[in-house]
Amino acid sequence: MGVDVQQVVDHNGVQTDQLIVNMGPHHPSTHGVFRMVMELDGETITKLEPVMGYLHRNHEKIGERNTFLHNIPFTDRLDYLSSMGNNHGYVLAVEQLLALGARYDPPTYRAEVLRVLMVELNRIVNHLWALGFWLNDLGAFFTPVLYFTQERERILDLFEATAGSRMMCNYMRFGGVFADLPERIHSVSNLINDRVRDFDTMKFLTEMINERIPRTIDELDEYLTQNDIVLARSKGVGYISREDAIDYSTAGPVLRGSGVAYDVRRADPYSIYPELDFDVAVQQEGDMYSRYMVRLIELRESLRILKQLLPRLEYTKGEPVNENNAQYSSKVPIGEAYGRVENGKGELGFYVVSAGDKRAAANPWRYHVRAPSFINLTPLGLMCEGNKVADAVAILGSIDIVLGETDR
Amino acid sequence: MWITFRHFMQTYVDDVRYGFRKYAPDMNNFEVRQGVDAQGAFTVQYPDEKLAMPERFRFVPFLVVEDYDHEERPGKDWCTSCGICAKVCPPQCIWIVRSNDPETGRPVPEPEAFFIDIDICMNCGFCAEFCPFDAIKMDHDYELASYDRTTNHIFDKEKLSKEFRYWKTIAPTRAIEEAEARGGWEHKDAQKAARRGGSARTSRTNQDTGRAEKREAVASREAVAEAPASATSAEDEKAKRREAALQRKAARAAKTETAESAPSEAEGQQPWNDSEDEKAKRREAALRRKAARAAKRADDSE
Ligand code: SF4
Ligand code: SF4
Repeated sequence: MGVDVQQVVDHNGVQTDQLIVNMGPHHPSTHGVFRMVMELDGETITKLEPVMGYLHRNHEKIGERNTFLHNIPFTDRLDYLSSMGNNHGYVLAVEQLLALGARYDPPTYRAEVLRVLMVELNRIVNHLWALGFWLNDLGAFFTPVLYFTQERERILDLFEATAGSRMMCNYMRFGGVFADLPERIHSVSNLINDRVRDFDTMKFLTEMINERIPRTIDELDEYLTQNDIVLARSKGVGYISREDAIDYSTAGPVLRGSGVAYDVRRADPYSIYPELDFDVAVQQEGDMYSRYMVRLIELRESLRILKQLLPRLEYTKGEPVNENNAQYSSKVPIGEAYGRVENGKGELGFYVVSAGDKRAAANPWRYHVRAPSFINLTPLGLMCEGNKVADAVAILGSIDIVLGETDR
Repeated sequence: MWITFRHFMQTYVDDVRYGFRKYAPDMNNFEVRQGVDAQGAFTVQYPDEKLAMPERFRFVPFLVVEDYDHEERPGKDWCTSCGICAKVCPPQCIWIVRSNDPETGRPVPEPEAFFIDIDICMNCGFCAEFCPFDAIKMDHDYELASYDRTTNHIFDKEKLSKEFRYWKTIAPTRAIEEAEARGGWEHKDAQKAARRGGSARTSRTNQDTGRAEKREAVASREAVAEAPASATSAEDEKAKRREAALQRKAARAAKTETAESAPSEAEGQQPWNDSEDEKAKRREAALRRKAARAAKRADDSE
């Protein structure tokens, strides 16, 4: 009687209401405290709005209270999966200030090599983690993560032996790095086992780069790239067009997955990247699958870079890695600088303004972080529209966010 | 599918290879699972098994004090309360009270109180990195859980102080490097005092031991540095390093034996692990020795 025939036909014979669902902030699939407000039509998302800010810790304001040096360990806590990259970006910005208008003040060659080594290893850690958790969201529950973790643990062992901590590395300093690679990765300990880990560092690195990590990546490729479920769930889902990706100023795998060959390591080369041989990974489709492919190719490219670093590490052995070690209160000349690096998640930039008394300042007047997670998250609504609720979780996973960086 | 299966098998291949040793309740089997050759996926059964820490591992800092059986300055703080660590600490969790001489009112290079709020400490390691006297170092002891964080997690000087010997144990290579930079095992101030010369006798012996120790430090450092080049296997190298360590230890033991007041503790026992009252006893003994020495010095001058 009162049935609107057209509406019934539109919805395959089922009449549905618009429903607003809050997902998060406390939801296991949101990778932290993150909230999505979804407008549903049945199972289909008609509108989605990301709500950030549940992990806000006043990072930027604290950074203005801190001295320049104090901020290095704080940047570790932004994207805690790739702290080496965060250190690098911040250190580049301040070195630019210290260089008085030059591009930046490069440290010794060995320090540069060590920085790139750590950053690339960190990218591998980051991508393995991102892919693992994305597959988790797709339903491959923790099996891939477990295998990736095995390799990740080994990389973290190296970080721990070199920088002192597995995740909060605090490794880079203005004008170099904290310390050289140790002679051996070994454990002196007051605990129970001291025979377990005792490797020659270079041998450990060589084995890791030439055998262990390639093996894991090959496994991943063989196992999942042509997997039916992965293809069915990710092809054409979470689409963002090339234009939209640029308009939302996304970066990293989200942007490169939409066919834009933009990588800060090539677009604005820093450190020793100009002399290294690697390709920028690009995929054209702009869906989840192409983001997966971008990450997979980047893993291989990182390995290519690492292989080129090994001989460089050998012949720079013994060079100093830090030029002004004793400097604990660096006075930074007045000016502004923007240091940016290609982190695992995208372009990470630090905007630092030094202004204070007449010639030099002890702490930044303004300290701003261009966080890739935050900016990549803004087009989430666009990507999710028209997809099912279950896809929203996977799309979020394919962007690869860390809430510590999103909310700062 | 194959890959899951392979990993699954690898986990058990290790079992077969090592004859299921890893299930035996003996800690020595730990390396089977965490060593370089381990293929499968394994978990560290935490409270029963613990991963060993590499030398540079950093956890909340501790203050270096002279060994309690040190000849000249038993239990003396290395810290001179210069305040640099408090300044470089990013979350500002170090609180130092400088001490004054009660008679003259002049500042004494020794902190009266030293607090670190370990709940705030972010384990960044800056304090250890920038301390000019090598007096504050990052610890390896990460088991700090307690039931009452309001009182237990603000470490005072007593809780933070650990013997210099401890630092040499948890970070042998670093300790040698630092000793080289300082010019001997002794604290900078002790070296300076020795060079200036208090009484002629002590200064000479001090300098001698200082120099000898420096030579020794350099030699053992060379041994460490040489090892990877010459030794082909890790075993060799480890043996060498152990030897060097033993030599150092023997030298130390010999030195303490010649001292008038023989140390009350058996060498080789781990002094940082023993109970509170033993620690107190040792501290008391150190104080007694100090007092005795002071009395003697007074006698001499009379
Ligand atoms: S920097 Fe070293 S000597 Fe100075 S107050 Fe701190 S611990 Fe003491
Ligand atoms: S480790 Fe860092 S946070 Fe902790 S007391 Fe030292 S300087 Fe402060």
